Amino acid sequence: MAISEPNPVPALAGSGSAYVTPSTSFGVFKRPVQSTGWRSWVFTVDHKKLGIMYGVVAMIFFIIGGVEALLIRLQLAAPNNKVLSAGAYNQMFTMHATTMVFLFVMPMAAAFANYLVPLQIGARDVAFPRLNAFGFWCFLFGGIFLNTSWFLGGAADSGWFAYAPNTALAFSPSHGVDFWALGLQITGIASLTGAINLIVTVLNMRAPGMSLMKMPIFTWMILVVQFLLLFAIPVITVALFLLSFQRNFGAAFFSVEKGADPLLWQHLFWIFGHPEVYILVLPSFGIVSEVLPVFSKKPLFGYKFVVFSGAAIGFLGWGVWAHHMFASGLGPVSVAVFSVATMAIALPTGVKIVNWTMTLWGGKLRFTTAMLFAVGLIIEFTIGGLSGVTHAVAPSDTQQTDTYYIVAHFHYVLFGGAVFGLFAGFYYWWPKMFAKMLNERLGKWNFWLMVVGMNLTFGPMHILGLQGQPRRMQVWTDFRAGEGFFNLAFWNRVASVGSFVLAIGVLMFLINVVYTTRTAGVAPADPWDARSLEWMTSSPPAEHNFDAIPTVHELDEFFHRKYEENEATGEIHQVSTYEEIMADEATRADKHIHLPSPSYWPIILALGLPLIAYGLIFARLLAVFGAVVVLLAMFGWSMEPSVADESDYDPPVDGGPTKELATLG
Amino acid sequence: MSHSFATKPVQSNMTTVKKVQNQSGDSMTSNSTRRRRWAMPVAAVAAFTALSSCAKDAPQDTWQPAGENARKINDLQIWPFGIAGIVLLIVTAVVGYSVFKFRDRGQAIPKQSHGKPALEIALTILPALILIGIGIPTVSTLFELAKTSDTECVVNVTGQQWWWEYDYPAQAGCGGIEKPIVTSGQLVIPAGQRVLLRIASRDVIHSYWIPKLNGKRDAVPGRVQTLRMQADQPGIYSGQCTEFCGLSHAYMRMEAVALDTAGFKTWVTNQLKPYTAPTAGTKSSEGEALFITNCTRCHQVNGILGSDGKEVIARPDKYVYAGVAPNLTALMTRTTFAGAAFDLQTAACKTKLWDTPSDQFTAAYLEGVTPQCLDTVQLREWLRNPTAKKPMYADPTKLATTGGKYRGMPNLGLTEDQIDKLVAYLTERK
Repeated sequence: MAISEPNPVPALAGSGSAYVTPSTSFGVFKRPVQSTGWRSWVFTVDHKKLGIMYGVVAMIFFIIGGVEALLIRLQLAAPNNKVLSAGAYNQMFTMHATTMVFLFVMPMAAAFANYLVPLQIGARDVAFPRLNAFGFWCFLFGGIFLNTSWFLGGAADSGWFAYAPNTALAFSPSHGVDFWALGLQITGIASLTGAINLIVTVLNMRAPGMSLMKMPIFTWMILVVQFLLLFAIPVITVALFLLSFQRNFGAAFFSVEKGADPLLWQHLFWIFGHPEVYILVLPSFGIVSEVLPVFSKKPLFGYKFVVFSGAAIGFLGWGVWAHHMFASGLGPVSVAVFSVATMAIALPTGVKIVNWTMTLWGGKLRFTTAMLFAVGLIIEFTIGGLSGVTHAVAPSDTQQTDTYYIVAHFHYVLFGGAVFGLFAGFYYWWPKMFAKMLNERLGKWNFWLMVVGMNLTFGPMHILGLQGQPRRMQVWTDFRAGEGFFNLAFWNRVASVGSFVLAIGVLMFLINVVYTTRTAGVAPADPWDARSLEWMTSSPPAEHNFDAIPTVHELDEFFHRKYEENEATGEIHQVSTYEEIMADEATRADKHIHLPSPSYWPIILALGLPLIAYGLIFARLLAVFGAVVVLLAMFGWSMEPSVADESDYDPPVDGGPTKELATLG
Repeated sequence: MSHSFATKPVQSNMTTVKKVQNQSGDSMTSNSTRRRRWAMPVAAVAAFTALSSCAKDAPQDTWQPAGENARKINDLQIWPFGIAGIVLLIVTAVVGYSVFKFRDRGQAIPKQSHGKPALEIALTILPALILIGIGIPTVSTLFELAKTSDTECVVNVTGQQWWWEYDYPAQAGCGGIEKPIVTSGQLVIPAGQRVLLRIASRDVIHSYWIPKLNGKRDAVPGRVQTLRMQADQPGIYSGQCTEFCGLSHAYMRMEAVALDTAGFKTWVTNQLKPYTAPTAGTKSSEGEALFITNCTRCHQVNGILGSDGKEVIARPDKYVYAGVAPNLTALMTRTTFAGAAFDLQTAACKTKLWDTPSDQFTAAYLEGVTPQCLDTVQLREWLRNPTAKKPMYADPTKLATTGGKYRGMPNLGLTEDQIDKLVAYLTERK
């Protein structure tokens, strides 16, 4: 655990020399303590490096998922189109959703959470740094494993919801569903370990003075999300195990002919799947709740309401899963209960929209790209939220469910909500993470192309759905397209054109990253006049984050150190600068900082998991080998102390930084 | 001025106009441009409205109910849509106002206020009241829609990859059905009467949806679920399987046909007509023999006699995973085949039938596929190679997971001559 230790660790009284841990792995391998080169990334346990790696990998998967989306839109651009075969189309929409949900939005939120939560709460790392590294590698290997299915007989073709019995061997004979089930198990481990890690971190490692109600709102939302993950991931884990056993070992959990009820899968999937929606969107709510106050120069309006509404969404999110099943024949009593519960969840969500809007009200607004994305989110998410209310009305949902209207709804929520929030986060925290400002001019192109693109893509889908075009159809016909203003042919084409505008918008971001990396100079340390602790240190932060752990007195601590209110006039005026605050903090710098040392074991342990999974699909012997790797790695890990022994470090070259990694001062 | 614009080329006229405008002063110029600036969008909106009012909407438009159940849903959904629209306008207006009003123009740093609990509570209670207002009619409507006691007859609707089977048990309701009828592709019901669909599935989950008549209901294997159907007027209403059901989900379509009471009776009679064997020596007669050797393993034609003089009974359960194949007894009384995905009539006749006014629709439909309308192109393509027309799992070498059973129709390797004869036989099935 990364904690500051003002005093040396006291020797264990009485136990003497009995307390011995080997400093090298299996007594052979030296710890990978390098601070530069590829090893410093592959074996790192630093939450910031892991955060960046989460972000880079998630971005790559975003591009893959985006290409899949473009192929889908190409296929649907014209009636009876032949861009994709039925089989390829079904794989494409399955993997598009799976990739965007599990391999882009969730890990991108994890990227922000990993990087920022310790900084926002004034900690030096997360509670379990090696577990954190293990989580990242599980995500990466799980994601790669899932996508190798494209080359090994075909990807999953039963939709990301994978309704039984369509996932049975008889109906999905390729290995796609096996890859899907096992791949999601592996990425699920990443989510679960991450959740435990961040919960412990937030609850135990906050800086002195930071009570829960003085905690930055982003950290709050991340905390709610981790609790959702903690309870939701086990449900999908169980469901996926049942599915894998059904397909690989002849179990009959969903076999109707053996007396099973296939609705069991739907309940399991959506008990996970609905909280999952909030898992996807709450981190972005947290991000915009940070961005809006900074660029409005006002605190978040109704911080407590936002916190409690976030928590309320977290609770209510568990009681609405069956609204995904209004057409499945639950009976009117169940449908009525879930219909009303679903309406109720609109309330805490509405609270957030009110609070963001009121944060703008009376502010001093600066329209940076981050701010534009945040304001864009308010409007786009409101559209998605309101269309959500129209299908909380269960009878009208029976007309809308499984049509493009639903596709429109959740893309406004997930693209207009989750993705816009993430992009606001990119622009806002980029100078924190890389000490470079993303180009604002390219940023505005990025924003406006994405706004136009997303509304052109997903806006028409409202019309398509209400005009009766179902989802997941490889082809549509001219005969059923109608004529006039609402004809499906026209709006399908608009949506397809829109998707390419959207893609160009995303491309602008990538161009911006490359351009900025090549040309931009060093960014100021506090470029936005920010409010929270992550800005009260250098950019990018040193490996130990803070030379001195700050003591917190206020919500928006950093802002309140910079500004004071004149009690007589009510005017806000600056009392100190970033540099002065940092100089002040430097005088209290900790003398001994022990950071956890890098380790081989997280990546090796994670590497064993896809070996088991490939083995289960292709050759059981490989699975045994994978299991051996996992067990050995677990053993090695458990015998390894968190901080490397002095002897693991090469002798410092001219007082070089190698050793200072572990100890400062 | 308008005159000179209307007059054709006339360079000189244009110059005159400009001169006149210049002389008459600036006010007129700006007035007219202002008027024209407004005229364009107004004209566009008017054109749109005119266009959309006379154009045909998509046949699956969920906002154009044609039966009492869909109408109940529509009457209910207007409110949340309206309220959502108003809320969106308000939010957009407030955000838009803030964006313009409070942008940084060098004003002082605002007071660091943390919110106004009274406003927050008010803005929580208000939507809560609105939601209660929506919630009450929602609950009452969904109980009304779940009612089955007032339905007058029953049709069993069974989904399988990738078509629907309709079977009508013998019953007194809906004018009386003496013997069970098994059909597919088009659900035929009497207009104005409340029909209860009992929906089930033989393989994966499907969903039955005729948007103009009612919302959808999943067909879940192992369960029988109910859905009310009622069409006000005779007519044809399209639908589509809406629960993803595998490879050919997009080709699993349906059509509901409502006939007037007398017409429905005629339809029932037609379905139960005794088998008429083709005249010996004709192409069609050879087609019958081919049908018996190639098709009756799976497809039933009621009353067809084998060479031994006994009725031939199809055994699709031996060859098809779902255990059934469409009954082809009265193929030509319906206008589509293979899951309502392909047509038996020309495009012109199809459009004509769909556009037939409701008072003439019953007669038009009961004619079936007339010789003038018959179009066997798609049927021939289908017989030549079904999986090329509609994606299915019918490659005998790739059926390990289904124990060698097909999901869909395999390629029978028919010659063009055999296809000719089969088509001759099939087009007489009416």
